Amino acid sequence: MLEVSDLSFGFRFRPIFAGVSFSLDSGQMLHIQGPNGCGKTTLMSILAGLKQANSGSITFKQAHNALPEDLRKHAEYLPAEANALYGKMDAMQNLKFWLNLRGHKAKEEVLTRALERWDLGHKLIRSQFPVEKFSTGMKRRLALARVELSNTRLWLLDEPLYGLDAKGIETFQQAVKTHLESGGSILIVSHEVSALAMFHPQALLMPGKKG
Amino acid sequence: MGNFRTLFVHSLKAEWSHAERWLSPLLFATTMLAIFSFAIGDVPEDTAISIYLAETFLTALFALQLSFSRMLEPDTSDRVFDLLRTYPVSPSAWFLSKYVLVVIMGLLILLPTMMLSNFFNAELGIPPLSSAMLLIGCLVIASLASLGVLLSTMMMRSNAKQILYPLLYFPLTTPILLAAVEASRSLLVNNVTLEALFQSWLGLLLVFGVVYFTLGILLFSELVKPE
Repeated sequence: MLEVSDLSFGFRFRPIFAGVSFSLDSGQMLHIQGPNGCGKTTLMSILAGLKQANSGSITFKQAHNALPEDLRKHAEYLPAEANALYGKMDAMQNLKFWLNLRGHKAKEEVLTRALERWDLGHKLIRSQFPVEKFSTGMKRRLALARVELSNTRLWLLDEPLYGLDAKGIETFQQAVKTHLESGGSILIVSHEVSALAMFHPQALLMPGKKG
Repeated sequence: MGNFRTLFVHSLKAEWSHAERWLSPLLFATTMLAIFSFAIGDVPEDTAISIYLAETFLTALFALQLSFSRMLEPDTSDRVFDLLRTYPVSPSAWFLSKYVLVVIMGLLILLPTMMLSNFFNAELGIPPLSSAMLLIGCLVIASLASLGVLLSTMMMRSNAKQILYPLLYFPLTTPILLAAVEASRSLLVNNVTLEALFQSWLGLLLVFGVVYFTLGILLFSELVKPE
């Protein structure tokens, strides 16, 4: 499904990483690990299409013998330090916008059910409260609800558990389980190793800085 | 088309939810025109129209600059702009949605500015918003809107936005402003017809509009592609 081959990236003549290769099939999770500054988030940005790798290739196919496709149509990205939400809009408006951009018709009851799963189902929170007033954990849950509703095959999650309470982590685990069981795949960067142990993810160890 | 509609409607809602973004340029324009009116006082009749045009377009230029520089603000917070770049969105639809939004916002600022200027210069007897002046205003906005979107997007990707924006905005807008002032002066002082003006200043304004719009469409995809 996703094949990454010999990827390298440097910033202002300083190499961040080199020779990163892996493949990810449907139903699999890959946990990207490594010390701070080793390029985990940079790798995610490259896969999401925000940065250009210096060399190497990224290929996404729906099936092994299918033609390569535009990864952006099939991948949903969750950045590490942000949630990409419009602060002045409410939760429903935010979800509707991102789903419409993917060409999905955002049915009210589907969105409401998703928000209820993420404990954002109260009418006030759902549609009468600007997102800028949400707590850190609530914003993260809303961003994760967007990922869940995106109907994409590949999730690129950078520190998705940041700010989540125990119940939020439980909902996240349930969403991940459903996604993997339905043939989706996940690339994840997270320091919360214990919360991911139940999925027995493959590990990609990024080497740290040398010298 | 679907991308365009979604982006446009959402951007319009985002703009509307930040009332200060269109309110502060209007308040700025009112203050500027009031200051001009009191500071200049009585002037000879033959220079009054020239001064009227100068203060109208100068005020509009700064009010629009104030509005355009903050046009993409809702997209800059919380990395919305970055997530948009990871979505399968056509750059042309994205540019067009912002362009139409800027045209609407620009007209919402320019038209009241022109009417206010008319009010402060009521003794000149110039009809408020005549069809010819309206046409000039629309052509100015059509040209400035492409620049506004392009420069605002460029600034979002730049580390030197505070210095780059005025450095690029003012030289690129000067020809548009000159053409608008000259066209208006020919119309109000020399009574030149619109048809004749399309052969000179108004034609130039139209050419600038087409050039900046084409550049906008072509360069926008470069601005949103991977770094």
